Amino acid sequence: MLYVLEDAINGILIGSIYGLTAMGLTVIFGVLKVINFAHGSLLMVGMYAAYWAVALTGIHPYLSLIVVAPVMYCFGYYLQDIIIKPIFKAEKDVREPITVIIVTTGVWYVLDNLSLLIFGPQYRTLQDNPLRGKMLEFGGMMLSVPKLWGFVTALATAAAIYWFFQKTRLGRAIRATSLDREAASLMGINQYRIYNVAFGIGTAIAGIAGVTLVPFYNVFPSVGVLFDIKGFIIVVLGGLGSIGGAILGGIIVGVIESVGPQFMAATWTEAIVYALFLVVLFVKPSGLFGVKYDW
Amino acid sequence: MTRAKLQSLSLLLVGVIAFGLPLVVRSPTYLHILVLLFLYAYLTTSWNLVGGFAGVLPLGHSAFVGIGAYTSTVLALQYGISPWLGMIVGGCLAVVVGVLIGLPTFKMRGAYFALATIAFAEGIRVMVENIEYLGPFKLNGPRGLQIPPLNTGLTNFMFAEKEPYYYIILVMLIAVLALTWFISRSKLGYYLSAGGEEPEAAMALGVNVARCKLIAMAMSSFLTALAGTFWAQFTLFIHPKSVMSLDVSFEIAFIALIGGRGSIAGPVLGAIILRPVSDLCRIYFGAKLPGLHLIIFGVLLILVMIFQPRGLQEPLTKLYHRFLDRMTTQPARAD
Repeated sequence: MLYVLEDAINGILIGSIYGLTAMGLTVIFGVLKVINFAHGSLLMVGMYAAYWAVALTGIHPYLSLIVVAPVMYCFGYYLQDIIIKPIFKAEKDVREPITVIIVTTGVWYVLDNLSLLIFGPQYRTLQDNPLRGKMLEFGGMMLSVPKLWGFVTALATAAAIYWFFQKTRLGRAIRATSLDREAASLMGINQYRIYNVAFGIGTAIAGIAGVTLVPFYNVFPSVGVLFDIKGFIIVVLGGLGSIGGAILGGIIVGVIESVGPQFMAATWTEAIVYALFLVVLFVKPSGLFGVKYDW
Repeated sequence: MTRAKLQSLSLLLVGVIAFGLPLVVRSPTYLHILVLLFLYAYLTTSWNLVGGFAGVLPLGHSAFVGIGAYTSTVLALQYGISPWLGMIVGGCLAVVVGVLIGLPTFKMRGAYFALATIAFAEGIRVMVENIEYLGPFKLNGPRGLQIPPLNTGLTNFMFAEKEPYYYIILVMLIAVLALTWFISRSKLGYYLSAGGEEPEAAMALGVNVARCKLIAMAMSSFLTALAGTFWAQFTLFIHPKSVMSLDVSFEIAFIALIGGRGSIAGPVLGAIILRPVSDLCRIYFGAKLPGLHLIIFGVLLILVMIFQPRGLQEPLTKLYHRFLDRMTTQPARAD
């Protein structure tokens, strides 16, 4: 029984990090109404940024946040500004432009394979960082310290984003645009700048997620794909556009993945996650905690 | 010369070139590349029935490729049934799965539909990877199935040379193109594009959009599964990560989008542009620059979407029509 509890707690820890990797996806969808297929690749870029920041300077992994988050914000801002905005302008009257989804797929392929060209296919790990392999004993259970840090970071990021959207002027402008972009434009909000900012924030969150993953996870060019599909599942489970839902969706997936192997072959847990995803998609497409959209 | 005559003449010329190519191209490597080109043109044309005409973005067609490949291979290996028969069985099985996927998903829009099809295809792949025996059928889990190249011949759908494969896939491609042409001019084709562009308006006019989409999905999954059998017989080795991988689904979608989805020429054009890039990059730069072809795919996709959102077929079709105009008007002036 203790084993199951231990697995469940570790599942919650890793699940909250999954939620963090998917949170950027949900922020971008909430505002742009576009599923960003390149999100896993943005996470990959964030992981490489964090990896190199730590490997070259030898600082504590979490100190690299100071560099990684702003750099990723700018990366996302200009990615949206240069590549995705022209298509938005061309398809102004389409409510949910498929073309934009396709372009993000193109961005995914380019980023993943550029990093394969530049960094090579090898797996990189931060060997001697202070968090690696650390365990914490708690009531007879072993908990992973880097995942605990990730859990705290995920909750803190969710709280910060929530506060930003609710309390700041820019956050309110973003919410107004997500609710009704024509009305927001009439109120003097530049919707394309809001899109850039939202994409930047989503990318910065991917960078933060990259920092939390780097202390215990391998970095390689196609690492994003592992989190890409998982991210889609998580945001649909939690409800596209809901920040708290992303964390909860992540925790659901994390717990299934870590408790499941106690009862069945580990590879079957993946199938269970897909099945759960499809059930939610059909029964309640707005997600478990989502706002209702008229799909 | 009249316009219609000129058009059929140029079509005939393309046909002659396509059928004559193996007489010129003797190298098995290049024939292999050509077969894959036609295979992907075929797959994309089948995909186009749903992804193009019905105006949605399915990203899980690898599931149907896999169903076709596995059905015919299992039947041939365990029961000695000719893959030609297995092909039809696989196609029918794919129709069942396709309709099951389509029933709930066609109610969703854009992004959700794409995600649901991905989840379906990935779910099926994960299941096949985990199943050694499905009832009496041996699937062999992640190791896949190998077809021993013992009895070559037409009835066994197995040949020592590449040429027979070339002609089979060419005939399949021509058949599916003819079918697409026929559908695009039928009531169903008009209903589909109406439902794809303005579902509410189409429904208001009495078009049963959901039913039309389901019919398109059933045809598309059947045709895609046939290609799966061809794939299995061509490579003689299938495993979930090859025939059912997400990369296949995405490559099909890429070819369609770059060529121009919703048109008849688009998928073929896309395959002619992308497949050689992919194969030649892998042959010549595979060791030094891995993934180069995927960068080219991605950049091309982004550029096409920004500057030619209807695909590369649009400017080329215009060029072709201008050429037809010039050829048909000049003799008239001479008279």
